[in-house]
Amino acid sequence: MALNLTINSSNPPLGVLLAAEHVKGSVNLSVDEGKDNKLRVSESVQFSDVNSITRYLARVTPTLSLYGSNMLEQTEVDHWMEFSTRRVCGQSGLATALGELDMALALRTFLVGHSLTLADLCVWAALKGSNDWQSIQKQAGAFSHVARWFSFLGSQVPFTAVGNKYANSKA
Amino acid sequence: MSLKELSSLEKALGLKKPNKYSTQGDRKVPVLQSINGPALVGLVTIATHLVQEAKQPELLGGSAEHKAVVQQWLEYRVTKVDGCHKEDIKTILKDLNSYLEDKVYLAGNQFTLADTLMYYGIHHVIVDLAVQEKEKYMNMTRWFDHVQHYPGVRHHLPPVVVLRNRVYTSGHH
Repeated sequence: MALNLTINSSNPPLGVLLAAEHVKGSVNLSVDEGKDNKLRVSESVQFSDVNSITRYLARVTPTLSLYGSNMLEQTEVDHWMEFSTRRVCGQSGLATALGELDMALALRTFLVGHSLTLADLCVWAALKGSNDWQSIQKQAGAFSHVARWFSFLGSQVPFTAVGNKYANSKA
Repeated sequence: MSLKELSSLEKALGLKKPNKYSTQGDRKVPVLQSINGPALVGLVTIATHLVQEAKQPELLGGSAEHKAVVQQWLEYRVTKVDGCHKEDIKTILKDLNSYLEDKVYLAGNQFTLADTLMYYGIHHVIVDLAVQEKEKYMNMTRWFDHVQHYPGVRHHLPPVVVLRNRVYTSGHH
């Protein structure tokens, strides 16, 4: 099975690119640049929504556990994906959202379970693309748990690879 | 206790053949009699040797700075944590807690031998902590929970239950 992913090169979807980078060893996936975000599974099946694409990529690579390892974790992942689109990318109230995120990360290294999941990818990508977060980050001591988690993930290999390739083109 | 630790470390490193250790003196310092060389004495010395034998030098730190930080925490483990009096343990927990606020691992963003040995060394303290104390030292608790779930680390030790959401939220931040 060969999957074909097209990304919007003028506004690259970081979450999708991170998921693609993680699954590329487990599934046959090609990435092209174009005008819209689209994952082509077959002639008749295509996904264009960012969360649908990442969910599909996680589900076809179950050994990576990007969707958590049980039903509870799966629900938690869904919660954070919704959180990333509505609350972090939303127009207002980033400070409230960050307060909740900080609270959740106080006793956690990763958002869900004990390893990396879509929750981490999507929330990290949403924060990375947020100008407000870039400026909040410069204030010392603000949301220390979010800051630790954000820089920890940012230092890991798939994140640096995607960051180097695409983050600059957006700025 | 350190003998059990060394055999767990062997398994964590994926070393197939277990070594035989003896102990020396009142403090039961571990000794490894190697086949082609002098005897190795001391927990950190033997542990470092095992890491090299397993060809995983990255566990001793990457850059020169990282290597120094790893050595510092290994030394802290054997001088401060081991044989520590009951009254002093709170100081150690406080130290670790504030140090770990902006770090995932003791040496920053990479897992090293320092995390494994600190986890083994401090486990008996964490087992006895109340839920409220674990939340008081939450950065330390978060690190501890992460290391006990790190693949292959926890062998001879029972898992410690750690709440993953805060319950005493009105307290300090």
